[in-house]
Amino acid sequence: MEKKQQTQSSQQPVFWKVLKKTSLSFWGMAPMLLGVIGLVGFLQALVTPDMLASLFQGHLLADTMIGTLAGSLAVGNPVVSYLIGGELVEKGTSLYAVSAFLLSWVTLGFIQLPAEVEVFGGRFTLYRNILAFIFTLVIAAITTLSLGMLS
Amino acid sequence: MKKQNKPFQFRGNYFFLFVLVSYGLLFFINYHIALLALEKAFKALIKILPILIVVILFTALLNYVLQPAKVINHLGKKSGIKGWLWVLAAGMLSHGPMYAWYPLLESLRSHGMRDSLIVVFFASRVIKIPLLPMMIDYFGWAFTLILSFYILVGALVQGWIIELIGTQAPSSQKNTNK
Repeated sequence: MEKKQQTQSSQQPVFWKVLKKTSLSFWGMAPMLLGVIGLVGFLQALVTPDMLASLFQGHLLADTMIGTLAGSLAVGNPVVSYLIGGELVEKGTSLYAVSAFLLSWVTLGFIQLPAEVEVFGGRFTLYRNILAFIFTLVIAAITTLSLGMLS
Repeated sequence: MKKQNKPFQFRGNYFFLFVLVSYGLLFFINYHIALLALEKAFKALIKILPILIVVILFTALLNYVLQPAKVINHLGKKSGIKGWLWVLAAGMLSHGPMYAWYPLLESLRSHGMRDSLIVVFFASRVIKIPLLPMMIDYFGWAFTLILSFYILVGALVQGWIIELIGTQAPSSQKNTNK
């Protein structure tokens, strides 16, 4: 019993050590995270949801591309992307564009690129973002086509 | 196993400086928008803080419980289908912005997590389980189901492509093989 208590008490400080080390490594990332958060505020103040919605012109291909780029430029909770997406659908914007917008809102992000490069390296960031961009367009297209076939 | 203790240093200093300078310029150009931007940034920070605390605790717990060998077993080269399913589920359940998860993933990567699984995690984050009812309300059942299905398949295909291409630098591969 005593031995058990001894081993438990000798194990306990280890977790605090790990927690301290982890907190320190997060603290080291503070300038990077604060930079990203600063840019989030910057973009939210300069680019409003109405401005994003007004980018769509009614051309299928152009709108899909605009949807992808607008989604990757925008920042914030995905709920906002649903609100804008819902408005766009009501206005008659194609589902290709709206799907691309919803997808790129989460998977692509210009403002977090510097942080992603710092953490994962340039090569990883480049490949991941190129793939995310291509798959945004592909998934948007096949989702809309599948829906069309079903209906 | 010998552990190398890296000296503490702040990361992303130049990036932070760039953002500070941008704010400084915006204050000169348009004081009101700069104040609004600061307010929005502050709100974003307040929103992300609880998520960061959870991620810090979770990372510490993982580092404490999971030895590198275990990480390699679950998320490394020989993790198989189990690894893919783990990250798919984790991606769908993860909350908050993508950058809040960078430190945890960096830690797991240094313990041997595959890059392909990190890509799957990021790609599957589009599906937000708590937000699914809202998505259904806005876009309908059919759209939500079909989109979610293709997102999952797309996430796996992206991971597979990364597996084929290989993005890990030779030095990090060495660490993984330890």
